Amino acid sequence: MTTPSTAADTSAYRTAVSDPVVTGIGVVTQETIDPAGERGDAWFDQRAQLGRGYKYLPKASQYLLAATTRALADTGADLADVPEHHRAVTIGTNNGMSQLYGEFDRTVIEGDSTLLSPATVPYFSVNLVGSRVAMEHALKGYSLGTHTPRVAGLEAVEHGSRALRAGRARWLLAGAAESPLDWSEPGSEGSEDGAVALVVEPADAVAARGGRAHGRVQVRSFLLPPPLAATGEGTAAGLLGAALQEVGVSGPRPPVRLVGADDAVTAAVEAALGGAEVTRHPAGVGCLAPALHVVEALRGPDTEQLVIGVAAQGNVSVARVAPMTS
Amino acid sequence: MTEVVITGLGALSHLGVGVDRFWQGLLAPAPPTPAVAPDPLAHVPIPDFYFLPDGALPDGPETVDGLTIGRATRAALTAAGEAVTDAGPSGADPGRTAVLLGSSIADAYVIEQWRGTKSFPDEDRWTPVFATASVVARELGALGTASTFSNACSGSGYSMATGADMIRAGEADVVIAGGFETYSRVAHAAFNQVGALDPDSCRPFDATRGGTVLGEGAGAVVLERADAARARGARIYATLTGSGWSCEAYHATGLDPDGGQIIRAMRDALDEAGRTPDDVDFVVPHATGTKLNDLTETQAMYGVFGERTADIPLYSLKALIGHTGGASGGLGVVAASLFLHHGVMTPNLPVAHPDPECRVRVPVERTPVGRTAMVNSYAFGGNNMSLLLRGEPR
Repeated sequence: MTTPSTAADTSAYRTAVSDPVVTGIGVVTQETIDPAGERGDAWFDQRAQLGRGYKYLPKASQYLLAATTRALADTGADLADVPEHHRAVTIGTNNGMSQLYGEFDRTVIEGDSTLLSPATVPYFSVNLVGSRVAMEHALKGYSLGTHTPRVAGLEAVEHGSRALRAGRARWLLAGAAESPLDWSEPGSEGSEDGAVALVVEPADAVAARGGRAHGRVQVRSFLLPPPLAATGEGTAAGLLGAALQEVGVSGPRPPVRLVGADDAVTAAVEAALGGAEVTRHPAGVGCLAPALHVVEALRGPDTEQLVIGVAAQGNVSVARVAPMTS
Repeated sequence: MTEVVITGLGALSHLGVGVDRFWQGLLAPAPPTPAVAPDPLAHVPIPDFYFLPDGALPDGPETVDGLTIGRATRAALTAAGEAVTDAGPSGADPGRTAVLLGSSIADAYVIEQWRGTKSFPDEDRWTPVFATASVVARELGALGTASTFSNACSGSGYSMATGADMIRAGEADVVIAGGFETYSRVAHAAFNQVGALDPDSCRPFDATRGGTVLGEGAGAVVLERADAARARGARIYATLTGSGWSCEAYHATGLDPDGGQIIRAMRDALDEAGRTPDDVDFVVPHATGTKLNDLTETQAMYGVFGERTADIPLYSLKALIGHTGGASGGLGVVAASLFLHHGVMTPNLPVAHPDPECRVRVPVERTPVGRTAMVNSYAFGGNNMSLLLRGEPR
């Protein structure tokens, strides 16, 4: 019997993170990479952005890797200072593997499974969007993929931050990655394309190294089923009020960025918010837009904002974004 | 730390619908007979699959609030609904009742069927395939967080561990957690192409094993605060005392042969539970029947339990029901909960040619068990989860 490695005999992970803060932001979208729109659909040059060895990865994985590189650089810290088993990743995606899935399916239908590329076939497993980044940066704490419609990116922060607070890791990469729906799927028009990566660390660790934080992001989610949204006038207000309380909003409500589509749930949430200081933002097909609004709120004026993502299926995530005062 | 208990169980597999059928199948294990996927467009070398019995799932609904749902979501709803019924009324605030479900591919087959038949719906509406938790929560009246995870074959484990954390953090009072998986042409083809399938049967720890056999299934539990469950006189199957999370960060599909991260997951689960390796009475291993995984898991168990590994009873669930992907850890927890509840582990299917490199005990007789169980699940992407359960005093 081979003796297994004892290198991982390092169970000192149990130091809960009481105050997680965002220290690194990375965004990869057409607007950030090719702001003039000169490259059209070819806006992301994987070779230029990532170097050799990434050509066959799905686009969402490429975007997330590039966003992660930016976020890591933005922290101003050296990831090598964080033990590998303290580093975790929680990433949301809705459609990140859709094109690959479509290609695989057509290959199997028109040919057979032996024609599937060995390099890409593991990516049928959608959690590999995050796990591929884990491989790249030795994020061995844990890896979790969230996929709830529209709010998966916000949920990545929610579930990831809770895991930090429970001491399951001490360093987190959270965010969202999307690439367009396969052309054959309904609703592909309006597909999102890009990635957001946030590095979340303990505030005390950041202070100890003399680093700076962008701010805090706290997220709570609930479900407002469409029938209740249409008829249960008090339900939306009650659920929303509870979520706001849980993210620590008890006094005057900060301005709201409401990210949703033209559906009954978004309308009910908007009505429950009461209109004042609520800005409606369109939602694309995917979970990227709410995450991008979190980034804008973190980078914006030093005032708290709420980002609320809404899915037509009833999922609502409330993110309280509190930038660090300069 | 707030204690989290399991008060309801739901199960669905090729053994049948419901926990009673599952338990009867475990009590009298019979070698399963795979079927050929009834999908003429699935051009794969190894077509074998363990399907749910005919009629296991309701025919509908086909849409919920305009969203087309498929067999995967109906399977999840069936298992979760059973778990909720089994738990009885908790009296919990719907807003503090969450649903967390894991799956590898969720309702991807909805899209595959449209693509295969070239019959996409007229309405050009986005159909997110991972909306299962939203639908299940809606149908069960849960208005807390409704998250659908992937994490491939450890999706159930992550949903249950996260659910327990939500309760401990005071974010929920009740969590319906588990996993589900049904047939997908793409997933089946991918498993074929990575060489993970055995053309004959799923034979964990057998020297002649050649891979796994995929199966359909769903497993769900109801998690509650122990004090609330005891106060209402709920039947408690087990306490979820600890979880260990880790990531291989090594390879897209394979475990690091050094087993370091799955060792850490097992040890972290024990640490959180305040238990030692010697306290573990039985293990439901991941045990897929693939060459490397079974060997690595065996060696990792030796790394945690030492030579006692050879004496710890294992329950090799996948030999009986196949690899149910995102449901596998959930069904492992359902099996372990039943063993703890009844005080006995059901007989395993025999390992015909025990692998000398996998010196483990896979009993084929009913085996009395103590009160501490470990359930392991691992996944493509290297996502590992170990859960520790403690049974009630008997």
